[in-house]
Amino acid sequence: MKESLMDILCDPLDKSELTLEVDERDGDEIVEGRLIGTVTGEVYPIEDGIPNLLPPDMRDA
Amino acid sequence: MRDLAERRGMNISVYQPAEDSGLLARAAIDRVQGRVLEVGTGSGWVAAQIAERTDADVVASDINPHACRQATERAEKLRAEGQRGFDVVRGNLVEPFRDEAFDTVAFNPPYLPEHPDGTPQDDWMEQALTGGEDGRAVIDPFLDSVGRVLKPDGEALLLVSSLSGYDEVLARAEANGFDHEVAVQESYPFETLTVLALK
Repeated sequence: MKESLMDILCDPLDKSELTLEVDERDGDEIVEGRLIGTVTGEVYPIEDGIPNLLPPDMRDA
Repeated sequence: MRDLAERRGMNISVYQPAEDSGLLARAAIDRVQGRVLEVGTGSGWVAAQIAERTDADVVASDINPHACRQATERAEKLRAEGQRGFDVVRGNLVEPFRDEAFDTVAFNPPYLPEHPDGTPQDDWMEQALTGGEDGRAVIDPFLDSVGRVLKPDGEALLLVSSLSGYDEVLARAEANGFDHEVAVQESYPFETLTVLALK
C-alpha cells in the first residue's frame, strides 16, 4: 500500500485513526508492516503490500 | 478457507469479470470523479477499467484474500505498463474507510439467492455469488453503511439484479435517504441488470 492511503483508512472497529509501522518498503510502496488502532490498540497486518483491515473476528480465514 | 484451488493453479476462488462487471464498469467510467472505491473488486477488473479510462484515484477492496492478491497483481501490471494502477485493501464492505472519503463508491455485490441448504462459509466463490436467502444479505448492509464514506455530493453505483428483488433494493436505498436513478440497464434471458446511481 502507498502511505497516502492513510488519509482514507480508519480502524474498522470504531473509525478512529490508525498509526503506521513499516518493516519493509519498495519505493513508495509499503510491503510489510502494520496498522495500529490509536484507540482500540488492535493490530492490522500489512502483508505483500495489502493491508488487512478485517476486524479480528473475521480475520482468521 | 480453501486454498486447494489456488495451490492447483486454478482460478475458481475469485470471481472473474462477467456481464455484470462490464455493466458496472460502463456506468462507472461515465460517472466517476475524484476518489473512487470499488467494493468487492474480485479480480480487480472493474477497478482497472476505471483506473485506465478515467482520471479518478481508485481504491479497490475485497473480503477475500485471493481476490486481494489477484487485484494487486492486476494493479502492478498496469503500473508496469506506465499507468497509474490502483490500491487494494482487504476489508468488509466500507468498514475500514473514513467518513466522507470518496466521491464515488461502486459495488457489484453477491446477489444470487442461495440454495435452500445455505452457503458454505468455507467457499470463497460461493460467497462471491450468493447473497443469502433473498439475495440481499450483503446488499442491505452495504446500503446501510455506504452513506458514511461518501462525500456530501458523492454517489454510490450499485449493480442490482432482478433476481435479488429490485423494488426491495430501492426501498432500502430510500430508507437510507438516497435518491436514485438508473445509470445503465440491460436485460438478459434470466435477469435484468441495473446499475443504480444513489445520491
